[in-house]
Amino acid sequence: MMKKLTYHPLTWWIFCCAIAIAIARVNSPLFAICAVGAMSILVISQKQDAPWSRSFIWSLKLSIWIIAVRTVIGVLIGVPIPGTVLFRVPILQLPSWMPGIRIGGDVTLERLSSSISEGIVICAIIVIFSAASSLTSPHRLLRVLPIYIYEFGISIVIATSVLPQLVASVTRIRTAQRLRGQRTSGVKAFKRIAIPLLEESLARSLDLAAAMDSRGYGYSKKRSRYRPIKFARIDTLIVATGLIVMGLS
Amino acid sequence: MIKFSNVSLIYPNSTTTVIEDLNLEIPEGELVLVIGPTGSGKSSLLRLINGLVPHHTGGILAGDISVDGISTALVKPGGLAHLIGIVGQNPANAFVADTVEEELVFGMEALNLSNDVMRKRVEEILDLLSLAPLRNRAISTLSGGEQQRVAIASALVTHPKVLVLDEPTSALDPIAAEEVLSILHRLVHDLSLTVVIAEHKLERVIQFADRIVHIDGAGVASVGTPEEILRTSSIAPPIVELARVLGLKEIGLTVREMRRLTNEFRETQKVENIDAARKIGDAVVEVKNLQIAYAGKNAIQNISTQIFDNEIVAIMGRNGAGKSSLLRAIAGISENNSGSVLVCGEDSQKLEGKKRRETIGFIPQEPSDLLYAQSVKSECEQADLDNQIAKGTTQEILNQLVPGISKDAHPRDLSEGQRLALALSVVLSANPKILVLDEPTRGLDYQAKRVLVKILIDFARLFNRSVVIATHDVELVAELATRTIFIADGELIADGTTIDVLLSSPAFAPQVSKVMSPHPWLTVADVVSALNRVN
Repeated sequence: MMKKLTYHPLTWWIFCCAIAIAIARVNSPLFAICAVGAMSILVISQKQDAPWSRSFIWSLKLSIWIIAVRTVIGVLIGVPIPGTVLFRVPILQLPSWMPGIRIGGDVTLERLSSSISEGIVICAIIVIFSAASSLTSPHRLLRVLPIYIYEFGISIVIATSVLPQLVASVTRIRTAQRLRGQRTSGVKAFKRIAIPLLEESLARSLDLAAAMDSRGYGYSKKRSRYRPIKFARIDTLIVATGLIVMGLS
Repeated sequence: MIKFSNVSLIYPNSTTTVIEDLNLEIPEGELVLVIGPTGSGKSSLLRLINGLVPHHTGGILAGDISVDGISTALVKPGGLAHLIGIVGQNPANAFVADTVEEELVFGMEALNLSNDVMRKRVEEILDLLSLAPLRNRAISTLSGGEQQRVAIASALVTHPKVLVLDEPTSALDPIAAEEVLSILHRLVHDLSLTVVIAEHKLERVIQFADRIVHIDGAGVASVGTPEEILRTSSIAPPIVELARVLGLKEIGLTVREMRRLTNEFRETQKVENIDAARKIGDAVVEVKNLQIAYAGKNAIQNISTQIFDNEIVAIMGRNGAGKSSLLRAIAGISENNSGSVLVCGEDSQKLEGKKRRETIGFIPQEPSDLLYAQSVKSECEQADLDNQIAKGTTQEILNQLVPGISKDAHPRDLSEGQRLALALSVVLSANPKILVLDEPTRGLDYQAKRVLVKILIDFARLFNRSVVIATHDVELVAELATRTIFIADGELIADGTTIDVLLSSPAFAPQVSKVMSPHPWLTVADVVSALNRVN
């Protein structure tokens, strides 16, 4: 197993940007799948037990959805590509003021494969970016960003600390409501959970904002850095690899 | 150091004043304790010191507050950051960074301190609060006591002259609480730090306080030495009540003082052997070889026990010892690795809906998790509907528990004690066979605690039901529990009558028993009844 090193927070973002550009330029589903596979191995080997590391798994799930939805829509609506007919969907008659749009009709192998491969390339880019965010702590990223966008940090800190707590709160409230013998799914249950949840997260955000304020955040425009984060050799290596892949594509 | 001149405070959309015409001067190097019933404005008073009230909350402030000569009316809270460190009621809500070290430097970076100053101070503060082994740990993995220490450290690291703490020990077990308080005590004496603390559990802090600010419900505050205030105040820790009951001329604030004062009394009393014969009823809960692990770590290791009718069982132990896990297992909401929990002969995991309500009543750590309606009234009506009982029954229960709660009030606007009472009456309306409470006394004042004790004892005695309660509050256990289970690291360490378990552990012994040792009395009521038996 790879040793868990700490990298410069920008390293993975630059690397992933380069890979994403490469995927877009090569525009081949095979290359995209390979890149996602390589990235997955990397993310798993570097996995930390932090709330943001889960974003990678979520993006994979999301991608499968996107591909599925895109394929269905791409097959039903869109420009027909001639070729081997797989099956037919009845054509929906549209009123005359909607010319040029066709819903249904012949589904060809070419049409299907082109929409799947487009979907894969798009999703690969999404997954690559979420890999970058799951490899980098948003708090550390915040610390290397230039001072003039630091102001916007207050919202990032609140969002990144309140969101994971929100997930924990949902679980807690659902359990409590189950103990009251209430159902925990359905529209009514959603309301029952949403109300205490909203109240709590609001109170929590206010607490956090008050705490940051009383610790002098944003009061002085200058801000010093404890342990400035250095760009090490390994960071240069990773960034260079990314750029080479991008150049070769 | 801190000066309040003619301070009055009113919140927007409110008709009552939170604080009325308060004059107070706190000199440097003093530890001041703010006491008062829940909702009396203790937190507001603390947040006035660095201007979070009214800068953050709104409200009308009359009079002037100055800290080290700076008026809070003129400066925003951020402008006082170098002067005042503030630790809120729930430190977990206020963390801004991932790791301990980053959290510590956050305030210093904001104050633009130079790098070598920061490095020195981080090392200093890590040593001072014994946090060195935790420096690279993620904050989310720390225990409650450790988090509290990190919060105090990150407030102190900027070298403020004033430290303000809102209920610093309410979530801590007695040992962790003592640790935090003795650190504060040392800071006051070594560095002449000015400390202002609000706390309900007076028995924990009273011995460290130089002065007390007592706010009664109507916004009127009185200031004085602990002896002066506690002689007459309605809020008093058990040892002060003991002094009052025994009719002592002086009151002692520490166990040592009280032992001196009661020397004569103790010697005149015969040491009785109380053999609390346990009345064994039917087993309501049966826990067999229970084992629970989270993320590879054992939370509960092979616990077997039974809970009987008519019993009030307290589960005690350090923060993170597995108390909540055991409660959750009894309530049937944990993922058990092995073993079983039977409640009234049924697997507690499989209970659903009405059957569940009628078997187990569970009050979670945040009672408001159970509540979702927009008013007390509709909350009660919903409970009536759920349980198919006559309309108004739940409201009736609530009125019996705590009279005088407005029907139209929003549950969120109630005080902690009132909210707990509402959640309790919703749960009790289903008439459960067993009542389970997780840490119910957080944020409760003595008055609310007394009401809770009475409710629970009545429930167990009158209806012959059982109650299981997990708590850090030694005094509550002494008042309430018939049996105490002590767990550490997920293992059952002691299980016996409350008197046996509490007396055998110095850290978990209540104040009265420490004063009265070797007499086996845990509470003021025990002493009174012993006196009555003699006379």
